[in-house]
Amino acid sequence: MAPRTASVIGIGQTDWVGDHARVRSGEKPHDSNGYAAQAFVSALADSGISRNDIDGLIVGPTTAYERVGELLGLDVRWGGQADAMLGVMEACQAIHAGLAEVVALVYGNDQRSAAVNYGGADAQGGGAFLSYVYHAPWGFTSQGALYALMARRYMQERGMSHAELGEVAVAQRMAAARNPAALMRKPITIDDYLASPFICEPLHIFDYCLINDGGVALIVAEAERAKRIGRAPVAIHAVGRHDLNRGATSLEPRLTDYYQPAQKLVAEQVFGMASLGPGDMDALQIYDSFSLHIPLALEGYGYCGTGEAGKFMREHGISLARGLPLNTGGGHLSESYMQGWNHQIEAVRQVRGEAGERQVPNCRHVHYSSDVAGKAVAIIYGR
Amino acid sequence: MANAQRILTLYDQPMWESIQRERMALPKCSHCGTFRYPPGPVCAECNSLDYAWTEISGEGKILSWVVFHRQYFEDHPPPYNVIAVRLAEGPIVVSNLVGGEPEGSWIDQPVTITYRPHLNRTQHAFSLADHPTPKSKREEHA
Repeated sequence: MAPRTASVIGIGQTDWVGDHARVRSGEKPHDSNGYAAQAFVSALADSGISRNDIDGLIVGPTTAYERVGELLGLDVRWGGQADAMLGVMEACQAIHAGLAEVVALVYGNDQRSAAVNYGGADAQGGGAFLSYVYHAPWGFTSQGALYALMARRYMQERGMSHAELGEVAVAQRMAAARNPAALMRKPITIDDYLASPFICEPLHIFDYCLINDGGVALIVAEAERAKRIGRAPVAIHAVGRHDLNRGATSLEPRLTDYYQPAQKLVAEQVFGMASLGPGDMDALQIYDSFSLHIPLALEGYGYCGTGEAGKFMREHGISLARGLPLNTGGGHLSESYMQGWNHQIEAVRQVRGEAGERQVPNCRHVHYSSDVAGKAVAIIYGR
Repeated sequence: MANAQRILTLYDQPMWESIQRERMALPKCSHCGTFRYPPGPVCAECNSLDYAWTEISGEGKILSWVVFHRQYFEDHPPPYNVIAVRLAEGPIVVSNLVGGEPEGSWIDQPVTITYRPHLNRTQHAFSLADHPTPKSKREEHA
């Protein structure tokens, strides 16, 4: 185990439901900085520490580092910009290296009210990730389309039916129904799923994440210091990452391996670092911009055998009602699209035992997984 | 909404010129023979900087396919298909299937490259190997 480890001591979020209603009625309640600031204030209050204790700052990829630091009045000795999973990982690295002791992670996004496009001629992220724009001349665009292309091949090769993939959307809507902060709380059935329109066939609208405005923040502190300040810490037991860059633009590691070789390597790292295995995980939070992430991660991290995810989801279950509780807040499909940040705070809530009607009984360990933009990342939270 | 644009780096330009001539070529590593797609300055297999533009056979197999039901580009009104093709030379290219469509699964269907005008450019497409697309038919699809 590392000589310095990190814990989460504070979490915060904006009013996703209230702001979504206002945006849908034509208002613009805040911009990205405004959502980030609200989430930070909420996380700081939750942590019970003083702002003066913070000596590190990470802002999400949607806001400018210096401006957010200026707005929040945070002079720090370490900082940067990162997405949710790399943000947590980098905070652990900085703490481990002794570069910071208490790091604020702050994310805000006005993607809905700003009408951000995740496909088409001005696809968000297009400049950074060639694969999102390189195939545009043939009409291939949007991250959803990439997952649709993977899904078609995966379903045939591994033998997963459309109805089995639909288990993801159904289970996450069931979770959201128990979450007052979730945007989409009306339960759906497999028949509703199968009857819903396609966006990029074979993926239906229920396979796609929501697009909404909001913010999330976390306060991560060095583990020993975390015990002395603020409230009961949630430990970050392990972090791991593996990237498959070769053939990325032509989608080779995704279309032929479904990114699972990277997940298997990350599984070895995080389960080894935490001295735990898949059987020790009480809940999973999986980055789910699209439903397909879930079966791929279940196989990639060894929760079921290769080619068994469809059967696992249908027979074993992936909900609070039965089986392995997964994306217990509703995930990106039904709770809120906070680009992985909402999964982090849901993991912390579950370990704290503060998840209300959706609480997993005696939740000791939560595994977070993402495979966004060519980076497989896992984090294990726990008591 | 706008039309779909090409990415035209220093290394893409010769590829698109070869497509314009209806003889698509890719950089082939002079050291280990690996074809590069997207075209680029170095071989990902052996890191050799040496290469020669080499015409591809145009033969391949469909790895996967999707059908778009939502419009993202003016020049691509839905529904339309997109396929991923494993070229005989190794790389995976993303394109469109034109002409007859297979019944049932498209995966592993052998395809052959064809070319068609699109906006002010020529771009590649593929047709089923046992359903060659005649020249006149190609233009109908433009």
